Amino acid sequence: MCGSMNEIPVFFLHGLAYAGLLFLVSAGLTLVFGMMNVLNFAHAAMYMLGAYFSYSILLRFTGQIWLSLLVCPVILFVIGALIERFLLRRVHKFGHVQELLLTFGLAYVITELVKWSWGNYPLAVNIGGFLGSTVQIIGITYPVYRIFIFACAIFVGVVMALILYKTRLGIILRASVNDNEMANALGVNVPLVFMGVFAFGAALSGFAGVIAGPLLSTFPGMAQEILIDAFVVIVVGGFGSLGGAIIASFLIGELQSFGVLFFPKLSIALVYLLMAVVLIIKPSGLFGEES
Amino acid sequence: MKQKNISIIVIIGLFVVGFIMPAVLKQYYLNMLTEIIIIALFAVSYNLLLGYAGLLSFGHAAFFGLGAFTTAVSIIHIPGLSLWSAVLISVLMTVVAGFVLGSLLLRHKGSYFALLTLAFNALFYAVATKWHSVTGGDDGLSITRPNMDLGFTTLSLSSLTSFYYLTLVIVGLAIVFCWYFTHTAMGRTVLLMRENEERMKFLGYNTNISRLILFTFTGAIAGLAGSFYTLHFQFVSIAAISVDMTTAIVLVVFVGGTKTFWGPILGAFVYTILQNYLSNITDRWPLFIGLIFILMVLFIPTGLSGVIMNIKQRFWRGKENGGNNKAAAEEVTP
Repeated sequence: MCGSMNEIPVFFLHGLAYAGLLFLVSAGLTLVFGMMNVLNFAHAAMYMLGAYFSYSILLRFTGQIWLSLLVCPVILFVIGALIERFLLRRVHKFGHVQELLLTFGLAYVITELVKWSWGNYPLAVNIGGFLGSTVQIIGITYPVYRIFIFACAIFVGVVMALILYKTRLGIILRASVNDNEMANALGVNVPLVFMGVFAFGAALSGFAGVIAGPLLSTFPGMAQEILIDAFVVIVVGGFGSLGGAIIASFLIGELQSFGVLFFPKLSIALVYLLMAVVLIIKPSGLFGEES
Repeated sequence: MKQKNISIIVIIGLFVVGFIMPAVLKQYYLNMLTEIIIIALFAVSYNLLLGYAGLLSFGHAAFFGLGAFTTAVSIIHIPGLSLWSAVLISVLMTVVAGFVLGSLLLRHKGSYFALLTLAFNALFYAVATKWHSVTGGDDGLSITRPNMDLGFTTLSLSSLTSFYYLTLVIVGLAIVFCWYFTHTAMGRTVLLMRENEERMKFLGYNTNISRLILFTFTGAIAGLAGSFYTLHFQFVSIAAISVDMTTAIVLVVFVGGTKTFWGPILGAFVYTILQNYLSNITDRWPLFIGLIFILMVLFIPTGLSGVIMNIKQRFWRGKENGGNNKAAAEEVTP
């Protein structure tokens, strides 16, 4: 049951890598929720789409994950913009239930289309090159790719924070959220802002998908697998809170990792246990505002 | 009052039709009809949450599955357990689960509530999958339907027809009870809370407790449906407690329409028949589920019952002036 001492740093690093991935997925989800008040069930399906596009790109250009990282978010950005413009915006007036059901339906359709196009079996993604190799850190041989994931998460987190709090665009975004009628009156094109936010969330999910492909392998169940974890991150961190998403991703990534090491049978329950404890102690999440 | 009398006549009529069905239908269709009645109860309980209380839950299959598994597990592990006891244990189990989950989750509303219920559904599913020694994990559990003890005599339920009659009576009465519930003071309170909670609080109603009671009640009804689901198929798999099951029931209710009491029952008919038909001709059934969701949301947000009400309203308007109110009276409004 108990792991030996020298395994602990390895599992800590594993936890960091998974935390990085969780943050990349939940950042887009929490952004869209915080800004538009839409809980996007299709988010994980778009993440899976990113992973599959990346698979096809890597099949043709082996080792060029950089190309995937550039192209896939752009494709997903366009898909996200189209979904917002032609589907989500139409049902917005009907209320939350309809919006949720629409994204739910989309998740189903995307998953089926993926099975149709790429087959209903896991695909191994080979990255090769420097990212596929290992390095020595603190006396452990460790895969570069997992460190790369963590670095990507930090990069995305910093960029998002800078945009939101240090640029004019960020001011417009926050203004549209706080009082979209007033922002509209002041000349901000709020529908365009919402389309941009949703598309950006989709692009982020695509980015996360590309990164997840080589780590978790690419298969049609990958969406549902991460969706629940990402939801737990949002609940624990607090809705719409970027800082909360960072802390919660770290907690859940490490909990998953050490859970497997110390309590292999209980590992899945631990995450829910954390969620239940947070819900009892602070129902709005660690960094959520009281409603 | 007149409206209520018409409803009672319709209910009695449906029971009479139900009673002669085994003489008319082939085994295959009788099997399907039994499933439809069970799914209809599940859908009605879900609509009490969504249509009446305005609570969008994505975890209703947790109760359905809990009821289904409790029935199977108790029949397997308690020798000589009567049918009634198995059903009763299942319902009690879901009452406890509904009360605990409800007190934890009902503090949240809207999308947050939807997300939390989904997460807890996933937890139930994970437990059912991993707890192999009790739930059978991926293999599921097979049972044999116990005989029914009526006190003076024992009826064998091994034939489909006799089980169909049991389902018709018990599950049918449960649906009628749900209908009756919507006409009680409690049912009215829930409805008014959806419309204006502040005002209800102001009038001295404890809205949190009313919501908790409703949540527990709908959970128990879903558990009863789950229990009969196990008894019907004499088998239960982890699919019964999965998020896919929740999705299915959301779709049933949504297709039928949330604005009327009978909409979800209609939805259960349409969904079950469509599913049986489509899964015979295509293995892309989930694609259709997704497309139906999207198209319904975009074009028929009120569901089939909404469409029917619309047509009926037009028809009545042509006939008499007061028709408008009559049609509206059947809708889920205070």
